[in-house]
Amino acid sequence: MLENPDVIDASNLDPTFKYDISTQLGGENIKRCFQCGTCVASCPIWTIDEGFNPRKIIRMALLGMKEEVLSSEFIWFCSRCYACYEQCPQDVRITELMGAIASIAEREEKDGNIKIRSTKPILDKAFVNSIRKYGRNFETETIISGVLATKGIKGLLSYVSDGFAMLRKRKLGFRPEKVKELGQIGGIFEALEEK
Amino acid sequence: MNLAYTFAYYPGCYLHASAGEYDMSTMAVCELLGIQLIELDDWNCCGALEASNPLTLSLSARNLALAEKEGLDILAPCSICFNNLSRANNAVRGGGRTKTIINKATGENYQGEVEVRHLLDVIVNDIGLDNISNAVKVPLEGLRSVPYYGCLTIRPSDVSKFEDPEIPRSLDDIIEALGADCLQFKHKKDCCGGNLLLSSEDFSLQITKEILSEAKELGADCVTVACPLCHAMLDYQQSKIESKYDIVIDLPILYFTQLMGLALGLREKELGLNKNFVSTVKLRRR
Ligand code: SF4
Ligand code: SF4
Repeated sequence: MLENPDVIDASNLDPTFKYDISTQLGGENIKRCFQCGTCVASCPIWTIDEGFNPRKIIRMALLGMKEEVLSSEFIWFCSRCYACYEQCPQDVRITELMGAIASIAEREEKDGNIKIRSTKPILDKAFVNSIRKYGRNFETETIISGVLATKGIKGLLSYVSDGFAMLRKRKLGFRPEKVKELGQIGGIFEALEEK
Repeated sequence: MNLAYTFAYYPGCYLHASAGEYDMSTMAVCELLGIQLIELDDWNCCGALEASNPLTLSLSARNLALAEKEGLDILAPCSICFNNLSRANNAVRGGGRTKTIINKATGENYQGEVEVRHLLDVIVNDIGLDNISNAVKVPLEGLRSVPYYGCLTIRPSDVSKFEDPEIPRSLDDIIEALGADCLQFKHKKDCCGGNLLLSSEDFSLQITKEILSEAKELGADCVTVACPLCHAMLDYQQSKIESKYDIVIDLPILYFTQLMGLALGLREKELGLNKNFVSTVKLRRR
């Protein structure tokens, strides 16, 4: 154990991490970052929680702090607003980069290498499952299964009045809309999983 | 049939569910303005904000391929769909490895011939503000609205090419063309945080509270939006924000197509005004 937890232990760094990121779709430009901090100033999440700092996440990734980055809950805080993307002088395309890092985190968790500390990927999964099943999002089922998986029965019950409000306005349906060529949708999923 | 204003209509999942009033008011306004919408046959979800990049781009590209076969450009009212379909289009047009991955996944041979248009773009830039003003039957005189653009309607500028990401004008111009007052709104380009609602509710609600509070302080009668997620945050979550922060907002949130419909003399039913969570009655009985 290091005495000062803020000191980076160089022996734990993974210099290949940046190459892993830059070969992911969306992560291509990570090495262009020159740490100006413009992205931070434009980030709406940073204004609420200074712990979420896109410049710092990029710096840590470039240094090779793979485990720290991938198991940090911060990588799930990006709202995908593109404010930083629009401002970055180096065209790092941060919003897409955050997505690439999140994808790597999911892969590494699947391989048993890290533990993700956010419910976001589970909620996203509920949505994506719906696309796989129907070709379209069946909101009613997506919300129920996502909330159930992340907040349990008790959590789900706390959304009951919200659900009824939606039903009263006829904003949620009881039946999914289905794509006719579902085989093609399944093919998309399979082709990308193979890779 | 005037082909100039004929589009493959891509409603996306939200407009067929929680954003039904956007779907209804889009179709009603387009019909009145001579924009012909032919729903894209067998369209699929674009991946929204939930799917990862390769999946989103491939799912979106399947829709582009369908439209290419029909020889039509796509019109999308939802800014999330618009962003994804446009990004997929950019990726395919950029060629190389990404194009190969996408076409291999979809099994299509999409060549990038389709244009993806946001409804707001078509209304302001194809139909034009003069034609909108001329079509007004009930000018919205005395009504004060703030335009709220949020993120994906105007950003990033290499994806959303019809607006100035720093000084967007299209919603401002529509509000004024309808005879209403458009108020200067500092939060107009800020994020609503909708993507984090279920995973980090506190963030989302706080961000949206700031937006609503400014609109309220300005004395607006309504907020005008162009995206179903912005709408869900400002409208559906408004009562939750009121109770969480112990404040009163009571501010109707209208899709720009609903606001247009009011001025163009369309019936309330056609605009789905009873589907909004915050009551729109005050606006209807002005
Ligand atoms: S704005 Fe771009 S170059 Fe500057 S710190 Fe952020 S990512 Fe790096
Ligand atoms: S896209 Fe993500 S990182 Fe960039 S400013 Fe928005 S929330 Fe922050």
